[in-house]
Amino acid sequence: MNSSTKSVALVGIVLTVGLYAGVARSDDAAIIDARQTVMKSQGKDLSAIKAYIDDKADLASAQTAGADLVTQVAKIPEQFPKGTGMDAYPGKSYVKPAVWTEWDKFSDQAKTASDKAVALNTALKGGDKAAITAAFGDMGKNGCGACHEPFREKKPS
Amino acid sequence: MLGLALGTILAGPAAADENAVARGAYLAAAAGCDQCHTDSKNGGAPYAGGRQLETAFGTIVTPNITSDMATGIGGWSEIDFVRAMRWGIAPDGTHYVPAFPFPYFSGLSDGDLADLKAFLDGLAPMAQPRVAGPQSLALLARARAAIGVAVAANTASPPIQGDRVLARGQYLVETVGHCGDCHTPRAWFGAPDLGRYLAGSHGGLEGEKAPNITPDPKTGIGNWSEDEIVSLLKDGGTPDGDFVGGSMAEIVRNTGRLTDDDRHAMADYLKTIPSKAFAKKN
Repeated sequence: MNSSTKSVALVGIVLTVGLYAGVARSDDAAIIDARQTVMKSQGKDLSAIKAYIDDKADLASAQTAGADLVTQVAKIPEQFPKGTGMDAYPGKSYVKPAVWTEWDKFSDQAKTASDKAVALNTALKGGDKAAITAAFGDMGKNGCGACHEPFREKKPS
Repeated sequence: MLGLALGTILAGPAAADENAVARGAYLAAAAGCDQCHTDSKNGGAPYAGGRQLETAFGTIVTPNITSDMATGIGGWSEIDFVRAMRWGIAPDGTHYVPAFPFPYFSGLSDGDLADLKAFLDGLAPMAQPRVAGPQSLALLARARAAIGVAVAANTASPPIQGDRVLARGQYLVETVGHCGDCHTPRAWFGAPDLGRYLAGSHGGLEGEKAPNITPDPKTGIGNWSEDEIVSLLKDGGTPDGDFVGGSMAEIVRNTGRLTDDDRHAMADYLKTIPSKAFAKKN
């Protein structure tokens, strides 16, 4: 192999590796964006339900949010492919590595959150405000908060 | 007659003690003592210590503060307790690393310290031997006293006068809750940078970033209503429907046990502190 062939081969390898890394990174970026969209939509749903609890919105809008919340929370486990956490993407992702080192605990917690979202939705359908308020508190603390505590680093401001 | 008189005498102090224990339990929740002094990850008994903590002063293992005589603080006198809480000095004269937030606790009232001791004395003794933690900064171990003084000198701020609610809020935020321990960035020797009081830190507990909780509208919580701050302290919910994670989720388990009046006082006070922007680096 002469030197110009070597150079061409090298350029080829560099390009291929570079392209591959580029694709992988942009795929991961899309995954992180999608995950954050799923999480933010849950935040919006919960805000809408809180607005009803605080007498700032009607029950119907809270019920719509409750139904959406169930759908969004069910999507959680599939949003966490390996290698998309804060160790690989500092400043973009705030997912702690514990999600993958303690996957069973994480997926159990996701299931708990899902069950609590279903319970909140059931309460919303029933229309009893005291029951809705209790289910909302349970969802926030033991559904969302209990998972964020070990698995998410809070983005500072 | 004698029996009745004796009964009265015996019941008197006991009843007073029960109140002290209840008040102490409330203060312990407001201060979140159990958060650091419980190895919850490994199923440790409450207040029995053993939690390994990453702090600005290196990795430490928290001590047992139950009433166990041999491994806890069961043998401590009132004076031992006050010296430890206010000045960070152990009964044997050694100095604690200010990862234990005694510089904040130096502002605790005499009555509150007595109540806290009554509560801790009432905890069931749990034998959990002290574990020497990995001390990542050897120099620090020798300079503990100096560091303690440096930190203490930078945490005292004059109590608010004339407004009972604000004064209560200041006491809960600054002293009992020691919010600044995570939310204020540190300067030399780990002393808080008071020019950036509660403006957020990159070096919070367990290496986490602690957000800006001054009224800065962009990087702080200036756009939050008082009720929204109260709501966060109650169940961890933020105005955008999020729920806090990390160490703050642990804090909320305790602030959720406070009265609404106290949460409102804390929120009131946080609304009055100087607004500062969050520094990208500190």
